[in-house]
Amino acid sequence: MKQPIRIEDEAQFLDPKLVKISHNQFAELQAELPDGSVHAPVEPVRTFPLTQPDQYISLLDAQKNELGLIEDINQLERADRTLLAEELKKCYFMPKITRIYSLEGQFGVTQWEAETDSGSVFFDLRSRNDITSLSGGRVLIKDIDGNRYEIVNYHQLDPKSIALLETQI
Amino acid sequence: MHSGGFSRRDMHRMARSTGRRSNARRPDAEMTILEEVPAALQRQLESVLEEKEDIKIAISTDLQFDGSYGKDWVLATEKRLLAFNQNGVPAPEVQNIALEAIDEIEIRELYGNNFMKVRTSEGAVEVARYSKRLAPKFAEATPEIETLIDKVKPEDAEKSKRHRKFVDPGKKKIRCETCGRPIPRWSDVCPNCVEKGKLLVRLLKYAIPFWKVSVPALLIMLVIRLVGVYPPILSKNLVDDILVPATMAMTGGQPVDPGAFGQLLTIVFMMVGAHVFTAVFSAVRGYMMTWVGQRITLTLRNDAFQHMSVLSLDFYQQRETGNLMSRITQDVGRLRDFIAEGLQDIIGDSMALVYMCIIMFVINWQLALWVLLPIPLIVLFSFYFGHKMHKVFHVLWRRYAGISTILASTIPGIRVVKAFTREKYEVDRFEEQTHQVFEGEMNAAKLWTLYQPIMTFLTYIGTVLIWLVGGRQILNGELTLGEIMLFMTYMTQFLQPVRTLAQMNRRFLRAATSAERVFEILDTPPSVASRKDAVDLPNMRGQVEFRDVFFSYDNEKNAINGISFTTKPGEMIGLVGHSGAGKSTLINLVTRFYDPNEGDILIDGHDSRDIELRSLRGQIGVVLQEPFLFEGTVADNIGYGKPDATRQEIIAAAKAANAHDFIIKFPDGYDTTVGERGARVSGGERQRISIARAILKNPRILILDEATSSVDTETESRIQEALGRLIQGRTVFAIAHRLSTLKHANRLVVLKEGTIDEIGTHEELIAKGGTYANLCEKQTELSKIRAW
Ligand SMILES: Nc1ncnc2c1ncn2[C@@H]1O[C@H](COP(=O)(O)OP(=O)(O)OP(=O)(O)O)[C@@H](O)[C@H]1O
Ligand SMILES: [Mg+2]
Repeated sequence: MKQPIRIEDEAQFLDPKLVKISHNQFAELQAELPDGSVHAPVEPVRTFPLTQPDQYISLLDAQKNELGLIEDINQLERADRTLLAEELKKCYFMPKITRIYSLEGQFGVTQWEAETDSGSVFFDLRSRNDITSLSGGRVLIKDIDGNRYEIVNYHQLDPKSIALLETQI
Repeated sequence: MHSGGFSRRDMHRMARSTGRRSNARRPDAEMTILEEVPAALQRQLESVLEEKEDIKIAISTDLQFDGSYGKDWVLATEKRLLAFNQNGVPAPEVQNIALEAIDEIEIRELYGNNFMKVRTSEGAVEVARYSKRLAPKFAEATPEIETLIDKVKPEDAEKSKRHRKFVDPGKKKIRCETCGRPIPRWSDVCPNCVEKGKLLVRLLKYAIPFWKVSVPALLIMLVIRLVGVYPPILSKNLVDDILVPATMAMTGGQPVDPGAFGQLLTIVFMMVGAHVFTAVFSAVRGYMMTWVGQRITLTLRNDAFQHMSVLSLDFYQQRETGNLMSRITQDVGRLRDFIAEGLQDIIGDSMALVYMCIIMFVINWQLALWVLLPIPLIVLFSFYFGHKMHKVFHVLWRRYAGISTILASTIPGIRVVKAFTREKYEVDRFEEQTHQVFEGEMNAAKLWTLYQPIMTFLTYIGTVLIWLVGGRQILNGELTLGEIMLFMTYMTQFLQPVRTLAQMNRRFLRAATSAERVFEILDTPPSVASRKDAVDLPNMRGQVEFRDVFFSYDNEKNAINGISFTTKPGEMIGLVGHSGAGKSTLINLVTRFYDPNEGDILIDGHDSRDIELRSLRGQIGVVLQEPFLFEGTVADNIGYGKPDATRQEIIAAAKAANAHDFIIKFPDGYDTTVGERGARVSGGERQRISIARAILKNPRILILDEATSSVDTETESRIQEALGRLIQGRTVFAIAHRLSTLKHANRLVVLKEGTIDEIGTHEELIAKGGTYANLCEKQTELSKIRAW
């Protein structure tokens, strides 16, 4: 009798010890895969950008075809991991809001002024739906232009920021 | 967590010491690609640039390479590209790249930020990092830089990869041109710049039509309140003029005034009279105001629903059904309470207070002052408390809305819930929500239970003061027993209006929140609407022309990316393409469920936005990809688009859609109810009913989006055949993955990622051997395997 297929096997993970990450001369990410093939440019994609930023990283080639998945970047060799982590940090820019200075507007169409770990910033929202609150007080914000911001735990902001934020969530 | 070590207070203190406001300036909405270069940079430039070398392009970024906000610069002259990286302040790092060396300028669009990268034959560097806000500026600057490159390297201007289209014309206007504020996604108008009355004034507008009832009701209330202060005066008279003199007389051994009992009787009668009067008129007034309130609800609710039905699809996509439902059901009710009761309460209660104050001050102003002493305390407390309460209620309201949301999503999805045996999960989710409601209610109750004793105590202070001060005055002979009783009674009567007035602000707030939510519906202009000067197009021929049409649902990714083609009247166009190519989107634009962000759709040569929506949609028949039937009978559903349709027409349409045969097999025939969303008929049956519905309208343009995807091939070919007869002289857009469905199509349009990949007749496309030919081949192969 045939064994039923195991669904887990469908996702093909790359052996982390055999993946080599580097930059090519065009400052593009280059990956050598376990089968010995070398690809550049390679685009790393977080498959769970919000919940598991460092796990399940998909590597795409220039045609956006998946080359393979890396289960956890921490399994990579140190040098490879640093390069990949750096590239991911560039590719996913989501400042963390530490304080909200002002928040004005109505009907969810709001203008914000906030402090983030990248500096202070102004941004606009066009709908309350662009604010997602997750468990543990985590809040994700997507502004009108498509920029993203994150509040790690809004309960830990200062009272004024909390009060401002609570009008929106 | 990085801030885990700080308490809230610490954070607060720290935040204070760092200053209240950031010093960031709001970035200009204006975008120019030749910005003014700051003086410091200007000086540096002088050392780099040659004589007579002009800056052609100067754009600043809003991000630095280390990912912090700040300004870097990218400049271009006719000779070189310069990038200033200010991270290296005071001696900024400069990238200096000769234009000749540049092979390509690349824009990397990433999550939350973009990069501009310059590629030469030897290598590549990133020259700018910027947020999405500046994306349009960089998209505009890039081709300009490329033009400069072409000037120094004319020889390979042709063959280079440059001049790819970076400018993304599909973007909708997202900020108001006058005030720079964001424009809601579902609207084209800046809500801030639309003239809008204050919420209250607008609310009052709804009460005005009923003034003939509400004004008399108000008058009655004023009289009731006036009469209401009278009984205590009567008691005072009773005590002071009859009972006390009688007691005195008796203690003095003298006879009691024989007329005293008569007086007593009169006063008691008056008291009873006053009470009966108040009771009767309160009842009458109550009825009147209920009528007014219900009329207001009626108007408001219908207005809101009426307006909601006009609103475009994007409005609905932004909101949860449960949320919208509660606006129409609950919020409208709350507004009614406020307009009908709240406002009159304010007036009535204030008047009652004024009456009582006057009387007390006339009788004994010193004591009156003492009585009023705790009032500010009561007001303050109620005020503060109302504020707290509002917060709690707001949270509570959201939790109740959460219940509706869960219900609104699980009830229609119950099949999926059962199929995946997730009943428990859904029940748990629901229970969690109801628990939250429970907690919210208990929080509210906690506040209330605290409120009562505190309030009682504050009032008690008043009573004590009256005993103390008034008692002393009695001892001094400055006050009578009846008067002190009157003060006592007023003290208690005072309380209720003071409390209501103090909590008025909470009622205002609640009403304001509800008003905001209802008015949001009423104020949102539909993004797709007939223009004022829109014309009727009574006899549409059905020529549809797409002119450079761009469309994006979310302003991030274009679903339609520059489509131009024209259909002849009466032509059948087959739309093919892989899933997600934009087929449904394209026909959504024809029906004007959405308007293109850029480009025009012309119908018989008229811009579709100039055609009255009713007239346009009245002549378009659509079968949507997910056919939706309403609760009602089969006949109701077929006749939905043509309410005056005869039975005969309904049967004819059903026949054409090949629905007649299965319908008459239902025991109830055309009178069969289909259930909510048509849940009681099969998928293919639902499709056929909706085809019949579209055909019955006798539309000039017929749109079939995968209209026969769930029916067997035989039935399909029968529908095909009937349609073949019916579509004579009509323009048809048919979308299908099963290519055999499109065998009657005059021309086929192959879509790919929102653009036209191929267009032509079946034969032409087969001969061309492109995407379509490929698809055809695969499907024939498939059918061969199947046949075999
Ligand atoms: N309401 C929406 N909001 C946001 N994006 C949408 C919406 N509807 C469709 N899209 C996106 O627009 C693109 C085109 O969708 P469309 O429905 O036109 O595809 P289609 O060609 O009809 O595909 P299918 O054959 O699967 O029906 C897809 O990428 C889809 O994800
Ligand atoms: Mg579709």
